[in-house]
Formats: sequence, structure tokens, C-alpha cells
Amino acid sequence: MKKVLSIVLAAVLMLSVLSGCSGGKDTNATQGGSSDKKITVAAIETAYGSEVWKKVCEAFTAQTGIEVELITDKNLEDVIGPSMQSGTYPDVIHLATGREKALTETFIKDQAILEITDVLSMTVPGEDKKVSDKIAGGFTETSLTNPYGDGKTYLAPMFYSPCGLFYNAGLFEEKQWSVPTTWDEMWELGEKAKAEGISLFTYPTTGYFDAFFYALMYSVGGPEFFDKATNYEEGIWDTPEAQTCFDIVAKLATYTEPTTPAQANDQDFTKNQQLVLDNKALFMPNGNWIVGEMANAPRADGFKWGMTALPAVTAGGDSYSYTWFEQAWIPAKAANPDEAKQFIAFLYSDTACEIFVTAVNEEGKPNPAVQPVLGIADKLEDDYKLFYAIYDNGAKAAMGNFAAFDSVVGTSNREVWFDPVNSLVAGTMTQQEWVDGIKAASDQMRANLVQ
Amino acid sequence: MKKRSGRGVFLFLCAAPAVLLFTIFMIIPTINVFRMSLFKRSAYSTTEDFVGLENFVRLMKDANFIRSMQNTILLIVVVTIITFAFALVFAAILTREKIKGQNFFRVIFYIPNILSVVVISAIFSAIYDTNNGTLNSLLSLFSGKTVAVLWKGESMVMTSLIIAMVWQAIGYYMVMYMASMASIPQSLYESASLDGAGRITQFFQITLPLIWTNIRTTLTFFIISTINMAFLFVKAMTSGGPNGASEVALSYMYKQAYTNSAYGYGMAIGALVFLFSFGLSALVNVATKREPLEF
Amino acid sequence: MEQTKKSSAERLYKAFIYVALITLAVTIIIPVAWVFMASVKQNSEFYGNPWALPAGVYWQNFADAWGKARMGEYMMNSVLVTVLALAILLVVALPAAYVLSRFSFKGRKFLNAAFMGGLFINVNYIVVPIFLMLVDGDKFFSSLIGRGILLNNIFVLAVVYASTALPFTIYLLSGYFATLAHDYEEAAYIDGAGYGTTMLKIIFPMAQPSIITVILFNFLSFWNEYIIAMTLLSDPRGGKTLPVGLMQLTQAQQSAAQYGQLYAGLVLVMLPTLILYVCVQKKLTQGMTLGGLKG
Repeated sequence: MKKVLSIVLAAVLMLSVLSGCSGGKDTNATQGGSSDKKITVAAIETAYGSEVWKKVCEAFTAQTGIEVELITDKNLEDVIGPSMQSGTYPDVIHLATGREKALTETFIKDQAILEITDVLSMTVPGEDKKVSDKIAGGFTETSLTNPYGDGKTYLAPMFYSPCGLFYNAGLFEEKQWSVPTTWDEMWELGEKAKAEGISLFTYPTTGYFDAFFYALMYSVGGPEFFDKATNYEEGIWDTPEAQTCFDIVAKLATYTEPTTPAQANDQDFTKNQQLVLDNKALFMPNGNWIVGEMANAPRADGFKWGMTALPAVTAGGDSYSYTWFEQAWIPAKAANPDEAKQFIAFLYSDTACEIFVTAVNEEGKPNPAVQPVLGIADKLEDDYKLFYAIYDNGAKAAMGNFAAFDSVVGTSNREVWFDPVNSLVAGTMTQQEWVDGIKAASDQMRANLVQ
Repeated sequence: MKKRSGRGVFLFLCAAPAVLLFTIFMIIPTINVFRMSLFKRSAYSTTEDFVGLENFVRLMKDANFIRSMQNTILLIVVVTIITFAFALVFAAILTREKIKGQNFFRVIFYIPNILSVVVISAIFSAIYDTNNGTLNSLLSLFSGKTVAVLWKGESMVMTSLIIAMVWQAIGYYMVMYMASMASIPQSLYESASLDGAGRITQFFQITLPLIWTNIRTTLTFFIISTINMAFLFVKAMTSGGPNGASEVALSYMYKQAYTNSAYGYGMAIGALVFLFSFGLSALVNVATKREPLEF
Repeated sequence: MEQTKKSSAERLYKAFIYVALITLAVTIIIPVAWVFMASVKQNSEFYGNPWALPAGVYWQNFADAWGKARMGEYMMNSVLVTVLALAILLVVALPAAYVLSRFSFKGRKFLNAAFMGGLFINVNYIVVPIFLMLVDGDKFFSSLIGRGILLNNIFVLAVVYASTALPFTIYLLSGYFATLAHDYEEAAYIDGAGYGTTMLKIIFPMAQPSIITVILFNFLSFWNEYIIAMTLLSDPRGGKTLPVGLMQLTQAQQSAAQYGQLYAGLVLVMLPTLILYVCVQKKLTQGMTLGGLKG
């Protein structure tokens, strides 16, 4: 026994010495490396994979001589969150809003993001154009890039993709159904599909309702209503426009495939997406990553992806497709803000945009990451060309999101607006209860708006 | 004299590291739970504002918190009763009856307890699948029509959690009860048999009273472990959904602290859970007090 | 007449308990076996009936899980954390349990009560304050040497594991030490042995069975733990433990689902515990009689 103990003791000692040593080495390495020309870039790894980021960082280093340390991970928040809390910040963070961990939202609330309005007038490294000449119109005027509504830009728009309702175009051809252009046609189709044993609607998780609901608000009340609603204006949820939005969602809930809520969680959401592939549900709100995400899944014969904007409320009314995009931003406490700004400017260079378009997913299937620059859609192929053509086919672009508020304990936008859809579908909550919850939360959020 | 002075040093060297680690990583954090519950602190700004009992006042009005507490209590009560009953009965069968493969059953029943909750959650996700899951296939087979119970849907999600938690816990408690049942002398049962007492009478008249001390201790630990296991299961299996229907106290605490970055609020929940589990343990301890029986 | 009636009832009873035992055994064996089966399926097979037999044995899943999904690396981390934590725990807990149970000194009662109280503090209640304490520590180190060293440090995670396991371990070991007669030490002292030598050479060897129990239980809890590991280790350069890596694999969204790798990973996390369990199941379940409780 004594032997065992002494071995254990020795092992512990050795390990602690070892870990001490390696700790020391690391420190030296970081200090040696953190000369003035090295930045850390942290990027979320989604369906676009991480390879394109590596290439873009290399291209950036080749162009400017600034070294880049790249961190990519599927759960980026878990990776960089703790070290940021202890004071080590990446210089550039690329993430999306609306994620469960809400890291970007937290930084917006805490006003801990560096203003980058001046980047727009910077020249793109290696080119002679200004950044603002490259970014397509509208992208730098939304509440997603200018969160405080003061005309100052804090977040750079990245990788846009039109969101809408995805469906099996093959099934529509086979049944000779036409894709509804108004909600009334939608309900008619719902009845027809029901007769065939197909549900009208499903959704992966309630998180996918944000893009849906934003587009819905646009199509019901236009940009003006959207702005008021997303700023929680007093009484806005009592207006007829709001009532129409609620009615549509509640009615859609009754047409939703009944197993949907039970699978609308982080573990089982692909089962809901599978419903569309199997012709068990017609439409689901999604983004174009779905093609790569479900690339290996089996599907009904003759399956073909189709995507449509949200139907109009009245015949001849506007139909909208939400433009989902991710953001790159610089934490206010980043160590190398000037180099970070150069990096962001470089993200809009032809070189970078062309690299991003070549993105492939883990299966090696193309899954282009499309920068919001002019003329990019011409470089796309197949399904993707179709998706990005949605705006050429008459749909209007909806952009923006709920205004930031100081953290209100116990509530978040998703919990109040979208999670209850699960209960609406299950029939355990009435439309009135849902709307009452929204009104109460909206009052609190208005009172806590970030000024 | 030499020995005496050596004794002090020896005692100190032996006890100090344990006391030190225990203080740093258990006592201080525990105190901090209560201290921080009186503050407002966000994740990336370093300031702490003293807000007194405001966090607790808000909690009392927070419908999501109240539901998460209700779910926690439901789990404590139901999981405890079911696990307890199954574990006792199976332990009694395996110790009292001559069973072929007794050892085999004991070994198998304990397996769920050594699996990671992450593994168990993945297993049960497949079992609970609405269209392809085993449970629905089995039910369809027996009822003769297609059954599509939404096991992870709002109305069933707590039941599903209960099943998974009971599945995980039975073996552990069974082995514990088996250990104490085995120490009951055989002669007691023999003389009871002669008096004409049947199995069930023997179980209630001899087995239960004689392992009562053991049962009392396990009940206390049941409470603490259920609060904890419920968190692990919810985090890995349902993330609290759908629409918060399966949120439990600790998962709500974790969510408030990390997702909503309201640390003070999260710690107020932690403080309440602490007080609740202590209170309940004390209550159970008093309620189950009996004169200990000797054999 | 009487006799036959009794024996037919007896037979019915026997049949009933066998059915009960076998049912429970089946509900445990089949799901676990299913994970092994699923781990050799091709990705496309996961979209069909999950209970269908695999079309072939697809070992590539394990290679992919080990390399691409970085499970190999996570496994090394898990091994390292578990071994380190066990080593620290034994070195700290053994002497402490010894003096707390066999010496009378001022403050002993208080310390014993404190560690007993620690049994009620579940580590998941205090994970947030521990995290924040390490964050504050890292801020201090950042200002001192330019970077934090406490978070994303496997050694620190091991210390936290060991510290939070102290109450249970000391409780279990003290229970055993207290049963030993004082004659052993008296004899050793008369032979001229000091306190330390007596403890190391005489007492600890006798405590071997309970030390093994301690190792077994804590191995299982350290190996399977994921909440603290998820909170304290998050930097990809520092590495994750196996359960955390797996959990994130089950919940990754917007990327092509890799079911084969996931189930191969589940097997990797399960296998060591199952092997260990099969080897030592007798000791494990016997060990529970010793002091046998776990939070």
C-alpha cells in the first residue's frame, strides 16, 4: 500500500511540475507572439465549415503581413466566453444573433462592442474601392448592424441568406398545386393537403420563428410597423396589424404537424426537417443551409427543394423574405482594434468573397457563404442560385430585429414570442394567453431599452 | 514530550489540505451563492450592484421559476416513490428468494447507474422518438393500432423524464437495500414462517422495520440527488422545452446565469434551492423518525 | 389438497417474479446493446427505423469519432482529469479521514460536522460561484502575467473534482477507520514507529477495501461528470472532456448531422466504465455496504 501511495504521490508531483512547466512555456509563446502584428479571430463554425476561414485568414496575412490566430468552433460561445470573462478578448468575433447563448446580444446590451462606422469609409486592403461601395444597399442600415438606432455602425454584415418557407417542389408539381401567394390560398392548400394526409406546416425549433415573424410583420404592416413593433412601442400589440400577425401564427399552429413540438428541441430538430423530406409536412421556415444539413437524409421520390417568400396578406400585397445574415464585430476591449478593422474591411474584398463562396460543408458538398456585396449572386450555382433569386422574383427584403434591452431577468425575446408556439400547436395555451405574455414582456423590455 | 509536539504537527499536516480545499471549493462558493443572490451582476461588465431582496421578490412573481420549482417537487416526489418501491421489492426478491441467476440480475440492474447521463439521454431520445421510437412501436404492437404518443411533447415530457430517472436509479438503491437486508438473520424469517406469516407480512413486519435506518438515510439523499439528476437529465435531454414545460430549478438557475447572464438572479434561485433541499431533508428526517429496532 | 393449492400459488408467484426480473433486465440490456449496434451503422441508416439491424459493420465511425470529431483527444483529457483527481483526492482525503476518525483534538467535532454538512452541498448548486471565483482569479493572473491560468486548466478541474468529492470520501473512509481497534497503533508506537509511519504502514494497508470502494465510486462520478467540465473547460486549445464533447455533438445545429460518429463516441464514453464494472462489480456492490452512500 505504501508503494502505491508513494507512486501516486510521485505522479501527482510530477504532473504538477509538468503542468507548471508547460504553463510557463505557453506564457512565453503568447508574449513572444503578441507583437503588434498579430490578431485573434474567432468565428462560429456552421454549415459553411471552417476551411474558408483558414483560407481567408491566410489571404489576409499575405495581403497585409498581419498574422492571424484563428479559432473556429461549433459552440464558439462556450469556447471564447469564459476567457473573455477573465479579460482575454479575440480581436474579431464572427457570430450570428438569435443563437441560444445570445453572446452577441449580451455584448450589445452591455455596450461592449467597438464602433466601426469608420470601417465603411476605409479602403478595402488590396483594392481601391471603399468598403461602403462594396456592401449592398440596406445592409448597414439595419438594427442588426446599428443596434442603438443612432446611425452608428457596430456590427459588420456577413454571409447573408434569404429565409423563407422551404418545401418539396417535386410534390407541388406532382399534385399540380401552386405555391400560395396569399395566406387565404395558404389555408386552402392546407385543407387540400389535409385531405391527402399531409400537414401544411412544421418548424425545426421555435428559434426558426424569428425570421418568419419578422417577415410576417413586414408583410402585414410594412417597415413602419416593423420598426415600432421591434422597439416595443406602447400599444403596438393592440393594433389591427399586430392582431393579424397573431391570428396568422395561431391559425398556422392549427395546421402544424402534431409531432412537431415534441421534436422542436436541440436534439431532435432534424426529425422535423425530415417531415418535409418525407412529404409529411409541406412548408417549414428555414435558411439555405438546410440543403447541406440534410444532404444525406433519405427523401421522397422526386424530391426537389423549393423556397418561397411569405405569402402576402391580401392579394397583390407585398410578400417578404427575411434576409438572415451573420455579423462580425470587434469587442470594445480587443487588444488590436486597428488591425481588427483592417481585417473586417478585408472580408469584403473580391479575394475574400470568392473564397467564401467556395465553402463546403462537412460532407464536402458545396454550401456557399455569400457575402452581402454587389454582384455576388452571379457566382452561385444550382439550388443556391434559385434561393438567392428570390428577391428578383418580386419578394421584398426584410431586415432587422428586436431592439436590444438591458437584461431583464427571467425573459428573452425567444421565450416570450416564439417558444409559446410549441404550446399553441399542442393546444395547451390559447392565443390570448400568448398575446398577454407578449404585452407584459414588451412593457418590461421598453422600460429597459438600451439608450 | 517529543511525541506530543510531533502529534500537533502531524494532525495539522493531515487535516490542513483537506480543510483548505474544502473551504475554498465548497464553503466559500456556498457562501457566495447566498451573497450574490443579493446583487445584480452581468456577465461581461464587472460591476455588482447591491439590490437587497429584489431578486427574490421577482422570483416570486416569475411564472417560469414557479413552474420549474413545481416540476422539481413533482420529480422528487414521484421519482422517489417509484424508485423506492421498485428498489425495495426487487431487493427483497433477490435476497429472500432462491432465484436462478441472482447474481446476473444484480449485475445487470446496476448498469444504468454507471452510465453517463449524456449516454442515457441519447438512448432515451431514440426510445421516445414519435414515429420510430421503441416505446410507440411497442404500444402499437400491443394495442393493434398506430400509437403516436408525443413523449417529448408538453403533456408527456415530465413523465418521460420520470421514466428515464427511475430507470437510472433503481439499481443503485436496490443494491443498497440488498446489503442491509442480507444482514437480517434468517432465523427471524423462519420463526415468522412457523407462526404462519406470509411473504407480504414478513416484508412489512420484519424486513422494513429492520432496515428502517438505512431507508431514512437514503430518503435524505434521494432528495438531494433527485434535484441534481433532474438538472443533468433536463440539460442533456430536453433543454427545458417545449416552451419551458420541463424546466427544473437548477436548469433554470443555469439558464439565467449563463444564457441570460443574470448571475445575481441565478444565485437567488440557487439560494432558494439550497434552503428548500435542507428544509425538505429535515422534514423527511423528522417525519420518518421511529424507534430503531434491533435484531 | 392444501399442499397442491399452495404449490400452484407458489409456482404462479415464482413465475411472476421471474417475469418481473427479466422484464427489468431486458429494459436495461437492450437499450445499451442498441448503442453498440448503432455505433457501426452508416450515416444514412439513421434516418430509417432506429431498431433495424446494421447493414454492415462500419468501423469508420470510430476512426472518424476518434480523429475528426476529436474524441480521441477528449478521451485523453478525460483520462488525465480522472486520474489526477483520484490521486489528489486520495492524497488529501486519506490522512484527513484518519486523523478525524482516530484522534481526539480540539475542533475535531466541528470539522467532522462540517464535512458531514458538505454531504448536502451538491456541486451543481455551486458551479456558478466556483466558475466566477476562477474568473476573478484569472483576471488577477492576467494583470500579473498576461494571461489567465485557472480556467481551461485540466489540473484545476481535477482539483475541483477532488475537493467536491472530499465530504463523501472522508465520510466513507472515517466510517471504516472508526471500526479498527486502537491496539494496532499502540503496538506500532511501542515499536518506536512515528505517527506518519504508523498511518502509512499499518493503517492504510488495512483500509484497502474501502480505498478501492472510494476509487471506484469517484472514478464513475469523475468520468461521467459534464456540467463542471463544460463550465470550466471550454477553450478548444485546452480541450474538453469526453461527455462534454459528446453532448455538443448531439446538439450541433446547422451542420450535417454525424450520427455514426455520435454513437461511436457514446461507445467510447461507455466502454471504460462497463469494462471496469464487469471486472470489479463484486467489489463495487460489496463496497456499498461499507458506508455506502453517494450524493
